[in-house]
Parts: sequence; C-alpha cells; structure tokens
Amino acid sequence: MTENKTQKVQQKKLPREVYTALQGVVGEQWIYEQRSVVETYSKLSIDASTFVRKHKKDPHILPACVVLPASTEEIQAIVRICNRYHIPFIPFTNGQVFSAPTNTMPTVVIHLSRMNKIIRIDTENLSATLQPYVDYGQLQAEAMKRGLWNGGSPLATSLCKIASQYSFAGLWQTDLKYGLLNRNIVSVTMVLPDGEILVTGSRCIPKAGDFLEYGPGPDLMGLLRSAAGTSGIVTEITVKLHTWVGDQCFPEIPAGRPSLVDVHEPKYDNPPEPLKNHRLYWIEFKDFASEIKAMRGIAHSGIGIGLNATGVYSAFYCSQTQDMTIERCKKKFFPDWNCYVILANITSEKQIAYEEKVLRHIIEEIGGTFLSEHHKPKVLEALKPWNYDCIRHTTGFRMNRKMYANAWLPVGPLENAFVTMEQWKKALDIFGECDITDRGGADDTPFVYALQRGHFCFFETDNYPDPVVPEEIEKAQAYGIYGNATFIRHNLGPMLMAFLNVEPLTTMFPEVGPNAYLLMRKLRRVFDPQSVCSPGRQVFTEEEWQQVPAEVKESINKIRALQNLPAIV
Amino acid sequence: MTYYEKKPEKKFFEKQLEDYRDMVWGCARCNWCQNQWGWNVKSAEFSEICPAFHEYRIFPYSGMGKMHIARALIEGDFDYDDAPEMIDFIYTCTTCGACEMNCQRLQDKEPLKVNETLRAKFVQDGFGPKPEHKRLIASVKNYSNPWMQPRTQRDRWARTIKLKDLNKEKAETLFFVGCTAAFNNTLWKMAQSTAAILLAAGVDVGMFGKEELCCGSPIARIGDRETFFTIAQQNVKRINESGVREIITFCPGCYRSLQHDYPEVPGLEPLRPAVYHSTEYVARLLREQRLIPQKPIPLKVTWHDPCHLGRHCGIYDAPRDILAALPGIELVEMERIKDQAWCCGGGGGARAAYPNFARATAVKRIAEAYKTGALAIVTQCPFCEQNLMDGIAQSEHSMQLYDLSELVIKAIGE
Repeated sequence: MTENKTQKVQQKKLPREVYTALQGVVGEQWIYEQRSVVETYSKLSIDASTFVRKHKKDPHILPACVVLPASTEEIQAIVRICNRYHIPFIPFTNGQVFSAPTNTMPTVVIHLSRMNKIIRIDTENLSATLQPYVDYGQLQAEAMKRGLWNGGSPLATSLCKIASQYSFAGLWQTDLKYGLLNRNIVSVTMVLPDGEILVTGSRCIPKAGDFLEYGPGPDLMGLLRSAAGTSGIVTEITVKLHTWVGDQCFPEIPAGRPSLVDVHEPKYDNPPEPLKNHRLYWIEFKDFASEIKAMRGIAHSGIGIGLNATGVYSAFYCSQTQDMTIERCKKKFFPDWNCYVILANITSEKQIAYEEKVLRHIIEEIGGTFLSEHHKPKVLEALKPWNYDCIRHTTGFRMNRKMYANAWLPVGPLENAFVTMEQWKKALDIFGECDITDRGGADDTPFVYALQRGHFCFFETDNYPDPVVPEEIEKAQAYGIYGNATFIRHNLGPMLMAFLNVEPLTTMFPEVGPNAYLLMRKLRRVFDPQSVCSPGRQVFTEEEWQQVPAEVKESINKIRALQNLPAIV
Repeated sequence: MTYYEKKPEKKFFEKQLEDYRDMVWGCARCNWCQNQWGWNVKSAEFSEICPAFHEYRIFPYSGMGKMHIARALIEGDFDYDDAPEMIDFIYTCTTCGACEMNCQRLQDKEPLKVNETLRAKFVQDGFGPKPEHKRLIASVKNYSNPWMQPRTQRDRWARTIKLKDLNKEKAETLFFVGCTAAFNNTLWKMAQSTAAILLAAGVDVGMFGKEELCCGSPIARIGDRETFFTIAQQNVKRINESGVREIITFCPGCYRSLQHDYPEVPGLEPLRPAVYHSTEYVARLLREQRLIPQKPIPLKVTWHDPCHLGRHCGIYDAPRDILAALPGIELVEMERIKDQAWCCGGGGGARAAYPNFARATAVKRIAEAYKTGALAIVTQCPFCEQNLMDGIAQSEHSMQLYDLSELVIKAIGE
C-alpha cells in the first residue's frame, strides 16, 4: 500500500458556466464530471510518468470532465468554448499514450468513442473514410470482405484507433510492402486548436473527391503527422487501401480459456497455421551484424513485408504463463539473433516460389539458418503465435508482463542498431534492471525491423517494471530520458525523430532543434494561441515551463550530465 | 508444477479487493475488454464485446474502468461519498465475462473478478447492492427463490411429468431445475422437455420439487457473499445427503454455481455428485445412442452461447454437437460466437436493475442472429431466454426462439 493511503485525491472542477456551455453542445447524457468517471481517464498504460504521478497522488492528472461529441461540429463547438474560457482540452481515444492531462488547470477530456463509424469504403479508388474511433480490426474486417486490405496492423487491432495511429507514426513491419501508415492518409478533416475546421488533400477542392493527399498550397497534412494530438482533433480520416487476395475473413481459431477459472491447458493454446497466402520463416544468425545485413538485403529485395528480431519479446508473445515467460528469458530459449520474414499477400504459387528463392539466396549468402524440423524445431513450434499475429495483430498467447513503462524507440539508419545496442547496455549498468528489462541486444536480441524498403529501421528496447513499485517505474522513466541524452551526445540525429513525437522533450532537450524546437513553438503560437490543445505535450510555452516542478528539471539535468550535456535553465 | 497448472492461491470468495492490487495497477488500457479478440472480428458492426460500454461509451462501464475504480478505492484516492455514481457502473455489468476472457488472454488479468469483488465490498460496506437486488436477496432468504414466489408453486411445471421425489425416494440422478424456469410458466417447457429427455433415455432421475433451494447464483453475482455461503452450505448438505451420484441442470447459472462457485467457498464441504449441464449430458446420450433423433425438423437455426455456460465454464461444443445430430436442423453461426459471443444482456443482475439496457442488449443480439438468415435462435439458459424474448418483442426482426431441449424432444418424437 502507498504510505499516504488515507489522502484523497481531489479533482478540480470546471467553472459552472463552462460546464453548462459544454452540456449545451453534447446534451446532458454525454458529459460527465463524476469522480469515478474522471478517474478512468487519468492513468495511462504505458506512460511511466502518469504511474509515478498516481503513486504520488498528483491531482492534476485528473481531468475535470469528460465530453463525448458525436460530430465535427460538436467538437468545433467544444473547442471554441475551451478557447473562450482558456480551458485546456485533451483528445482521447483508448488512452494508452498521450492522453493524460498535462496541465495544472482543470482539463476537458474529449473522448471520441461515439465517433466510431466507417463512413464509406471506396472500392474503385481504394480508400476508406472513417470516424476517429474506428480501429484496425473493424477496418480490416470490412476491407477484407471487399478484397481490400489496410496494410497490416500495427500494435493491436482494438488498441489502435486508426486516426490516432496513422496520425502518430504508423510504424510497423508491413510498411515494407505498403509504406508507413502515416503516408497512407488521403485526407483528414480536423478541428484545429482554435476551432477552425481544416480539410486536407484533394477533397478540399469542391467536387474533386478523395484521391490525393495534396491539395492546393502547402502540405497541411504535415501539421497532423507526428503531432500526437497537439495540432487539433481528427474528426474524419480517409486512408488508402490495398488489394487483398486472401479469404473474406479469417478462419475460426479455437475458443479461448474459460474465464471463470484460470485454466492453463494446452488445448486453449493452439494458434492456427499461417494463412494460405502467407508464408512465415524464422532465421537464426551467428551474430547481430549478419542479421542486420540480412534484414537490409531482404528489405532491398522487396519480397518480405516483415523483418523482426525478437528474444524477450517472443518470450512475452509465445508463452502461456508469466512463469514460462521469465524462465524462457533467463534460459535464452529463443536464439539471440533470430528474425522472421513474412511473405505476405501472395497471389500465386509461382510468386511464392520466386520470393522464397530470393530469400534463400540472401540467407545463404549471409550465412543464416532457417529454423525447421531439423534446426531447433521446438523453438519453431513455440514461435507459432506469430503465425496470425503478423497478419492481424492479436498479441500472441499472453503478454504476461506487469507493465510496459518505457522504451527506447528510435528510428534511424540500420547501422545505428549497433550504437543503440551499446548504449542500452551502458544504461543497464547505470540504472540497473527493472522487473524485466529487454536487454536490447546486450546479450539478447533487440527488437529491430527495417522500414521503407530498408531506408531506415526501427529499434525497440523496453522496460517492464512492477507497477506497484514507484521506484522501479522512476527507474524505467530515467531510461527514457537517458536515451534522449544518449542520442544527442552521440549525434545519432535521425534517431531523435521518434522522440519529437513524445512528451515535451523538445524543451528538455533543445539540442534537437533549433529548427524543430523553434518551429514547433511557432506553430503552437499560430494554431493554438490560447495554449489549450494538449498543452505541454510536445513543447512548452515559457509560462508552462515555469510551472514544471524544480525536482523534474533537476532530475533531467542529472541525466543530461551523465552524457556531458549542459544543464537546462 | 507444469506451466499449465493453476497456481495455488486464495479461493475466489476469500479474496478482498486489496488482493487485486497488483492486477489493477497493471491495466494496459489495450481496450480488449471492449472489443472482440482481434482475430475474430468479422465486421465493424459486430466488433464490440462489452454490452455496457457499447451502450454508454464511457470507460467506467468497461472492464478497464472497473480496474481503475478498484485501484483508486484500494489506494484511498476517493471513497463512496465522493463517487456515489459508481454503484451504477459496477452493477450495470452483465458479468458476461467477455472482458475477462480477452484480458486473461493478453494480460493475465481478471476484470470480471475485480468487478465481482467490488460488488462484494459494496455489499460488505453497506454501499450496495441496488434496491432491486436487495429485493432479490430478501426473496431468496424468505422464499428460497429470487422471484418472490411461494415455495409451494415450485413444482407446478412438473404436474404432468413423473419424476422421482428425492425427498421420499432414492435416484441416481438429481434434476436441479433452478428457480427461473420453475416459476416462470413461459419457461416451463425447458424443464418439461429436459425431464422428458432424461426419462426417454432411461435415466434414473428425481428432483427435490417444492423443497429445492435456490442455487445462490444471482446472490453470488450481486456480491452478497454471506448469504451465498449459507445457501451453498444448505444445498451441499441436502444434495450430499440425498445420495445421488450426479446432478443435471439446464440452467447455466445453477451449473456454474454448483460446479465452479461452490468449490470457491471457503470451508465448504465438497459437493460429492458430479455436476453436468444438460447440453453435455444430452450430447453424451446422443453419442451413446440412448436417444435416437429420427423426426426431421426442417429449420435453419443459430445458437446463442449463454455466457455462464460458454465463456464462464468452457462448454461450447456440446450444444453444437446436439444440433448437428438433429435431422433437418441447419446451424448457421452468428459473427460473435463461443468465447467471443455477445451477451443477451440478462445476467449479473442487470435485467433486474437496468431493464432498458438489458433489453437493448438483447435487441442487438437478435439483429445479429437475424443477419445469419436463421429463422430461429436456439439457446439453453432461462435468463437468456427471458431476455431474448423481450428482445424479440422489441426488435424490428421477427425470429422464433427455442430452447434446445424443445428441439431434441421434437426430434426424438416424445
């Protein structure tokens, strides 16, 4: 139990006139300020800082109220009210990242859960127009029925609301075949932070229709990409679809465990075989260098859609129990340098034969070994949950981790994988391990995959601390900040890309600029003159920076010092 | 211990909210408590799985929301005075267990058990349950059934059926009828058909008749543990003393209680007879050819998985095997089936306290059933049947509703 268990956390409420005005927009039924409601919008799942703040009973993490609009016009009206009264607002979908109130002011959460309709699927021009709460599973299922495909499923199907995910980054392995998902947007309708409605792409020209992401003038879509909800609220999005040659729906999988009793029986853990138009291969390499070389080769060849290398991650994905996960991590059940390749959405036997021939040629040249009935068959068998997860992400058997707290998620040229690996190892020495720490290539496999035909890659190294131990979460948080300091110190410029998306790091690490830093401040001044849209998420105003507690600044300075970076003021 | 063995831990009814502290802090907000398991989604229309979230669209109604409310209560962030509204979030849940099914699969967490423990805490602290539930509890205490019906009426359904009276004579098998079908004359056919099937197969079957007691399932779901323990004790004592070797019930609530809830009651003597749901038992009788369905029933049907039978207890195949054995019956499946089935809306006390919500949930199930092209929806749960009947009455779609036992009895020509 926390020491201050008896201390209640009091929520700040909105001035009555603001509440009444919001109520007038959405109706009495769709606005809530009850204490237990706002509680459920206050702790995010993979944001370590909200866990720490929860443990410390920080009241600012509680929103003042939750409103549920049903249309673009209602969102516009809400945003205008917030501007009129200088009340911060936060767009909210499922609340895994980027949705916590970040301000000491009473904050309005705009939950988009009522806007969950697929507006249309255009089978002629290969696009789908959606409201912002539509998720991957929904779109994929509807697209498949029409012989179309939305380019794979980053993260999990229900977890990823399309508008949020496409607007953020949309990184996933399938990008090798379909391009980054945030490059698969045809148009958006969004309510800007000041309440203006912006329509992007060709559809902003009357009667032109939805076919091209560019409209007249500069690319306004850029305002949205990677803005993480700070440049407005997407109310409608049109995304590209691609052809799908498989069945109209997936085969039934065995029913899950009964939920009443926590039954762990093998009969409930039978993943299906890969779909007939997909092939999944696992390949082991002798070292990280040859694995990276192979990943590059395969990406350049254009055959595979997914390249990944997993160790701890596979243990999470493919184990039936938490004990099994931990034991597999400790015993290194999964090979250190092991990646998968999916030949996806194949149209003919000849195509399979060709793509497999290319793959085998690359692997032979580099010196990898396919997992098979002759080489580590038990490992191959254990990896079967990926059979469907790489097609529609359902996250294996069980993730079995207590909490996903913080990660290094840099993107950069493939060579940067080596530096990331070294630096992560160093971070482990400095901060020590959490409950489970992805060893990030130090003596396990890093989570790496090539993107954009191998132009760059994505790395992931994670911490999974115990969520009831604040010290562990703080440690995990320190890893994240140290990562930024590390990348700056080692001039791993492109790696910073991902971090520009996250939290107000542009203020804490001004070295990422000056362009990004200054431009983002300018953009905020122009589009959000009242500083009300997700304030403090990407960049602070001077005023907001002053409000950041001194101990936060001190801890950042300490971590900056570890990389010989000067203290921030 | 193998990986698959259950870890030794406290019995469910011993657990207090604090026992779930680690679990509720670790909620990953993945949203799979609200949505169908990713692989199973077949359309946008039928992709959600939590009836309460589907209806009200805010998180406290979802499994995730319950985890957050529980966490805040455990940590003392607020209490009942600060949040009187939470009683409705906690009791609107139909306890269908869809959230728990998916959460266990992904995160090894148990939002339904957290919600049921929240209910138990509310009752213990005098904050709950809802007034409608208090009436059910009082009725069980006074009349041994939740429906305010006199005990003498309990066996009216059986006037035309000759079953042994276990109060006076011995039998191998106890037919545990349950309160809902026994007292609601629109559901008598369930009990009558099931009894007729057992007799036709030559099962040595008896019942307690007027002396049968409520199994306690509604009381357990509402969260009144103390009353439930008393009921469980009385039932176990009486059943064990009767000397029967097996119990058959068609009510999934009774089945769950007898089979799974009683063993979770601390210090309770084990129930000696084996417990079977009628679908399991009848499927076996058909396999053993003790029942021979010969009369064709030309009917396209769809099967509704009762949550307490399927998701809670893992019985998915037996009813489908029975339907497959009936000549003329064509089974077409809905999109959300088995562990991903959509709840009828009637469970967990939701129908008693939130009838409009329960009905709206049933209407959605009827729409899904209608889309299959089936003319009839078949199930075997008195709660589901009551609620689906309400749903049909309010639906724009016309559908017939059958209890599975009715079709079996038709097919064997009894």
